[in-house]
Amino acid sequence: MAARLRRARWLVYIYFRCLGQQMKAILAYEADFVILMISAGLVQITGLLFIWTVFLRIPDINGWTFWQVVMMYSLIFITEGVGSLFFEGTWRVSRLVYNGNFDQMLLRPVSPIVQVLAADVGFNGLGNIVTGGVLMLIALGNVQVQWTPGRLLMLVILIISAATIRVAINLATSASAFWIRTPWSMVPMFVHQLGEFAKYPITIYSMAVQAVVVVAIPFAFVSFFPTAYLFNIESWSAIGLLTPLVAVYCMFMAVWIFQVGLRRYESTGH
Amino acid sequence: MRGLNKYFSIAKASLEVIFVYRAGFAFNMIGTVFYVVAMFYLWQTIFLGKPGALGGFTWPEMKAYLIVAFILNSTMTWFDEWQMGADIREGRVATDLARPIDFQLKRFAEATGPVPFELVSALGIGAVVAVVFGGIALPADPVHLALFIVSAALATLLKFAIIYCVSMVAFWTTGMEGVSNGRMAVQNIFSGALIPLVFFPDWLRGFASVLPFQGMISTPALTYLGAMDGPTTAFMIGTQAVWVVGLMLFGRLLWRSAIKAVTINGG
Repeated sequence: MAARLRRARWLVYIYFRCLGQQMKAILAYEADFVILMISAGLVQITGLLFIWTVFLRIPDINGWTFWQVVMMYSLIFITEGVGSLFFEGTWRVSRLVYNGNFDQMLLRPVSPIVQVLAADVGFNGLGNIVTGGVLMLIALGNVQVQWTPGRLLMLVILIISAATIRVAINLATSASAFWIRTPWSMVPMFVHQLGEFAKYPITIYSMAVQAVVVVAIPFAFVSFFPTAYLFNIESWSAIGLLTPLVAVYCMFMAVWIFQVGLRRYESTGH
Repeated sequence: MRGLNKYFSIAKASLEVIFVYRAGFAFNMIGTVFYVVAMFYLWQTIFLGKPGALGGFTWPEMKAYLIVAFILNSTMTWFDEWQMGADIREGRVATDLARPIDFQLKRFAEATGPVPFELVSALGIGAVVAVVFGGIALPADPVHLALFIVSAALATLLKFAIIYCVSMVAFWTTGMEGVSNGRMAVQNIFSGALIPLVFFPDWLRGFASVLPFQGMISTPALTYLGAMDGPTTAFMIGTQAVWVVGLMLFGRLLWRSAIKAVTINGG
């Protein structure tokens, strides 16, 4: 047990060392960094501007008020930000495998998954986390919630779980590179686009779409269910409590899929 | 005419590249459909909750607007700031400088080559979505349709001109991801791609009307619907044309000062 714990701590240390190197490489281009941060902010502001304009005309979407939808948006931005800032490397797998550079990762005495996760840094993530965080605080300030220490703790757990689900989906889909060789992240991007459905209350969709975002690729647990829990919305709020379990399940599945992929990995040669 | 042959070859080569990567292209296309479908459900819910017109739009008109926006957004998807950034970083721009071709025309040929294929795919996907959601409003008379085709062509030229200008930033900074994302965000909101501009409050609409982006989606979509009267339509299409010419010339000006700043890395 103690040995395993030591190994886990060592992996976390290695992960942050790798990430640190990537950060240095990016910070060397100062202008790029500034532009990335500003553009991340712009993307969010325009997204918010859209939803605000819609709500100028209508009081609610299927019973969901403006600030409740903003809460969903903020969860999407924050989890996307965490994914880019700390785990952008998943987007590099396709190219690494395609170019034959993935071999390097197998030669090092560190879990390839840890190396993949630390293989890149997306500084736009920082912009996403900051503006998403500000949005969330404003949204929480505008919705009547009975705050108890338990609910506050649950908010933190829900944010971590939602981010975990996102990263797990990215990791699982990045493993597609072991089956389909393309120079860019084709399958991950495709699945990522499904996240569009997480922006609005899932009650607006048909049963088929709901089944996809609740069961198949659980984007609904990134934004909809956590928000429903926090604001006690109808019967959905109880399902929100399952979010941490869904997160554990997703991570478990992602690691498993990635390992199955690793076993059938064939180098494209160098 | 002979001088244009080489650009035609470049356009053809650019189209052939898409055929090589057809699986990736198809995946990209289907991926963007999720966004459109989500928007359809959102607006359907809004219109069901509030029968009648919203911001002057009926539900069939809104559906038509969304489909037209989707199709216009589906062209020139392979032309963006990234490529210019990569060309400069990897030194390919040196070869371009050595060739007896006009750089802007070459880029234009590369960008337009795949357009017929993109257009056919987008029309197919758009038709399926339209049928699934119970049909869309069609142009009331053939004149609207003819004007729409003119306006849509200008919208595509405008898209090229804007991206070409923005991509010149690549001569001063290497990472184009932020530049491209930023341009896309501004374009999405002010072109009317996310929501018709009439839904904006006055101050925001005023802002959108002095920018070139409205010519990319809003003008052609409203022309399709016949939502503007004759003089307004003429004025709006004229505005599109003025922006196209202005930005094309501005792009040439930028290029001339940019090649003085270029640092070529190998190549």
